[in-house]
Amino acid sequence: MKHSLLLAALLTASTIYAQEGETATTTLVPTPSHIVIECKSQECVQQAQETLKSNAKASEEEVLAPNKEVRISVVGQGVAPMNTISPAQAYALAKRAAVADAYRLIAEKVKGVRVDGQDLIQNMMVKRSSIRTSVDAMIRDANIVETIFKEGLCEVEMEIVLSYAQFVQQ
Amino acid sequence: MRSRNGDRPFIRSICTTIIVSSLSFLNAQEYLISYRYVAKNALSYNESFHVSHAMTQCGSQSYEPLILENTDNNNLKATLLKNFDLFFDYAKKLGLHVRHEEHTLNHQSSAFTTLTLKTTCFKVEFNDSFVIIQALK
Repeated sequence: MKHSLLLAALLTASTIYAQEGETATTTLVPTPSHIVIECKSQECVQQAQETLKSNAKASEEEVLAPNKEVRISVVGQGVAPMNTISPAQAYALAKRAAVADAYRLIAEKVKGVRVDGQDLIQNMMVKRSSIRTSVDAMIRDANIVETIFKEGLCEVEMEIVLSYAQFVQQ
Repeated sequence: MRSRNGDRPFIRSICTTIIVSSLSFLNAQEYLISYRYVAKNALSYNESFHVSHAMTQCGSQSYEPLILENTDNNNLKATLLKNFDLFFDYAKKLGLHVRHEEHTLNHQSSAFTTLTLKTTCFKVEFNDSFVIIQALK
């Protein structure tokens, strides 16, 4: 009995030690932010490395360089009003709203968004939360690539080609 | 009476060309056109389109022309409204101003998007069957 108890204690201690030995901490820095991943096996470490590499590639932003063009593509959405006199009118109105939305998305991508936020907290509770976002831009030579109208929703795919020369100060 | 060098038909053709071209230039009129579209919460909210004669002379440099069919008896606004998609494509090349404002109050948001073609001067020439429109810089 004593021997069996001793054997069980030894086995438990050895498994705990083996688990601690396998644990490896990997630190990868693909971007300015610091990511820490804890892995217990070598396969996990490799998988994490591959995932981080693919994420880093996906998050790489295209930079405008001389002799290189950047194509920006967006999908704007517009809704047809309820009180239209014909499907054609619904389509026309939804498409126009979708075009305006696509223009807004291009402006947001190229120029950026201004965000103003205000929270009113009273007696440890949020009484009023307000967020205002705005964008203001002039867009030239944007092209409609595709228009899809389905169940009252119109989607317009729009693209714009930016070149380095457009941004060089004269 | 023949001219000394006997080149009468040639001189006449040159004179005709000059007169016709000057008449066509005089026939061209200048218009001011503006367009504004407002969408509220992804729904069409307001649209305005203004066309008027220019009272002062505009610049001389022009963009590429847009040629439309003259079906409305020299009525520019009616012609443009009839071919609005073509005119809108042309206006996109000139540049449209976009302004978007979104307000989220207590997790409920409302959005306004305004698309504007600023008041632009156009040289418009009415022919028998076509209207030639050129934006002026």
